[in-house]
Amino acid sequence: MTITQTDPVNAGQTFRDTAPVLRVENLTRIFGPGCPDCVARTGPEAETNTCPTCGSVVACADVSFELRPGRTIGIVGESGSGKTTALRCLYGDLAPTSGRAYLSVYRDGERDIFEADPQDRRRIRNFHLGMVYQNPSQGLNLLISSGGNVAERLLAAEWRKVAAIRDRAAGLLGRMEIPVSRMDEIPANFSGGMQQRVQVAKALANGPVVVLLDEMTSGLDVSVQAGVLDLMQDIQRQEQVAMVVVSHDLGVVRLLCERTLVMKNGRVVEAGVTDQILEDPHHPYTQLLVSSVNM
Amino acid sequence: MTATVTNPVSTDQQAEALPGYNYAFLDEISKKAIRRSLLKAVALPGYQVPFGSRELPIARGWGTGGLQITLALIGAGDTVKVIDQGEDDSVNAVNIRRLVERTAPDVTTTTETGTATIIQTRHRVPEQPLREDQILVLQVPLPEPLRLVERREAETRRMHGEADYSRMWVALYEDIVQNGRLTRAAGYPALVNGRHVMTPSPIPRWDLPQLHMSQHLSLFGAGREKRIYAVPPLTSVVPLSFEDYPFTIEQFGDRACARCGSTTSFLVAIPNEDGSVEYSCSDSDWCYSRIDAQEHGTA
Repeated sequence: MTITQTDPVNAGQTFRDTAPVLRVENLTRIFGPGCPDCVARTGPEAETNTCPTCGSVVACADVSFELRPGRTIGIVGESGSGKTTALRCLYGDLAPTSGRAYLSVYRDGERDIFEADPQDRRRIRNFHLGMVYQNPSQGLNLLISSGGNVAERLLAAEWRKVAAIRDRAAGLLGRMEIPVSRMDEIPANFSGGMQQRVQVAKALANGPVVVLLDEMTSGLDVSVQAGVLDLMQDIQRQEQVAMVVVSHDLGVVRLLCERTLVMKNGRVVEAGVTDQILEDPHHPYTQLLVSSVNM
Repeated sequence: MTATVTNPVSTDQQAEALPGYNYAFLDEISKKAIRRSLLKAVALPGYQVPFGSRELPIARGWGTGGLQITLALIGAGDTVKVIDQGEDDSVNAVNIRRLVERTAPDVTTTTETGTATIIQTRHRVPEQPLREDQILVLQVPLPEPLRLVERREAETRRMHGEADYSRMWVALYEDIVQNGRLTRAAGYPALVNGRHVMTPSPIPRWDLPQLHMSQHLSLFGAGREKRIYAVPPLTSVVPLSFEDYPFTIEQFGDRACARCGSTTSFLVAIPNEDGSVEYSCSDSDWCYSRIDAQEHGTA
C-alpha cells in the first residue's frame, strides 16, 4: 500500500512538490523455495508468515512507501513481522525476491536499485546510504579503532586525505558525545550505548541521503536510550538526512517519525501520520499494539 | 619470442629434450591451459585467474607459479634469465635455470637482463627498464592482497567483484594512525588499470613504479594458491596511498654500492666480520655490468 502524499503537519508548504528521495514498491522477500501460493496464503489474515503449501517464510511482502528529503518514516511491528528484512533488502545486505526501489540520487530515481549490478549496488550503499544495526557488532568492526570505523565509510566514498578523514571522524564522534581522546580506541572497549553512538557516527559519515536505523535503542537501558534519541532528534534538525526507523517501540517512533508503517506477518497493515495512528488506530493489530503500551 | 603470450611448441623439438620428459617438462595440454589463463589475465589486468597448478620437480612455494608460466611460454629462440632477489646465482635460480636448460635444449639461458626474452624473478624487478619484447614473470607466494583483512576466499572474490576495497583502505589508514606513516615494505598493494587491487608479489616498494605504464608485459604466477594475473604493457599501476601520506620508495641517502658505486639502484646491507655494514646492489647483473663497463673504461 502507498502512503498518501499530503502531510497535514506541513500542509500548504512545498513538501508536496519535492520528489521522494526513496520510493519503495512492493518489496517482497521470501526465504525458502517459494511457490505461487506463498503470498496469498500468508499475512495478517492467515496469521502466519509460513506458507502452508511449501513451507517458505514470507518475511515481508508488498511493502511500499515513499520518503521525502529530510523526513523520517517509522516501521513498527512485533518481532518477526518483517521490519528488519525490509531494511536489509534496502541496504543491500539481502536481495529481495521481488519489488523495486528508487533512490533520487541513483540515475535520477528512474532505475530500480535492485536491478543495479553488484558494483553499482556497492557504490549506492557506500555513497548514499547509512545503516545502524540493532547489534553494534554487525555494523562495526569492534577490533579496529572507532575513528577507523567511521573512516571506513569515508574511504569507501573515496576520501583520500588522512587529515580530512580524521577531522570529519573526530567531528562526528564528538557530536555523538564520544570523547575525541578515545577516537583511536577500539569499540570493543566501549559500553553498548557508546558503540551504538559510534555506529550512528559511521552511518552519517559520508553524508548519506537516507539512513536506515534498525532497533537502534533496543539493547540500551532507558536513560541511555533517551540520550541516543535526543541526539537523533538533533541530527534530524540539523542535517537534511532522511531516515527509516525500524522499532518495536512505539515511543521511539512517536519521537522521531512523522509517518509510520505498521507491519504484521510480513505485511503493512496500516500506514499514515504517526500521531493519527497512535490516537486513532484503525487496524485491530494496531489497536492492540497501541493499547498494550502505556504512552 | 616476442611479447605475445601464445607460443605453440612444435613437437619435433622433443627429441632433444631430457629422455622421457616432454619439451619444457609440462605436457602440451597443461601448457595450453596455462596460456589460456594467461590470455584471460592479460584481458583483465590485475584480476586473479584460477588455474590448475601442476606438479613440478620443485616444491610448491619455491617458484612453481612463475615456473609454470615460463615453461608454458618458452620455445625455440627464447633466452631465459632467472633471478632470486636480484641474484642470478642463488640455489633456487640456478635450479630453475637448469630445469629449463635440460628440458628445453633449444632455449638459451643468460644472466644479462638486456638479452633475455623471458625473465623469471623472485621478489625483484630488474633495475634496467625492460623493453616491449621482454616478458617479466614474477613468482608470487600470496596472490590475494585482501587476505590480510579478510580470510574467507568467497568474500575476497566478492570484494574484488564489487570493487569494494574500503577495508583495505582502512588497514592503510590504521597503519598511519598507529605508526605515523605507511609501513608496508614489500608487496605494496596497487590499483591496476583503475579497477583491481593486486599485490605485486613481495618486491620492494622501489620496484613498484617499474610496473606502471611499462613497455613490458608482467605475468604473476602463484603455484601453491593456483592463481595467475597480469599487468599488460602501458597499464596503470597505482600504489594505494593518501594525498597527505603519499607512496614513497626506499631512501638510501648518500649510500652507494660498495662494488660498483651505484647510487641509483636498490641496495642491500651486507654485514662485515668487524660489525660494520656495507651496501651493494641487489640486482647482480646491474652491478656486474657496471663493473665491467668501468674496467673497460666506458663508465
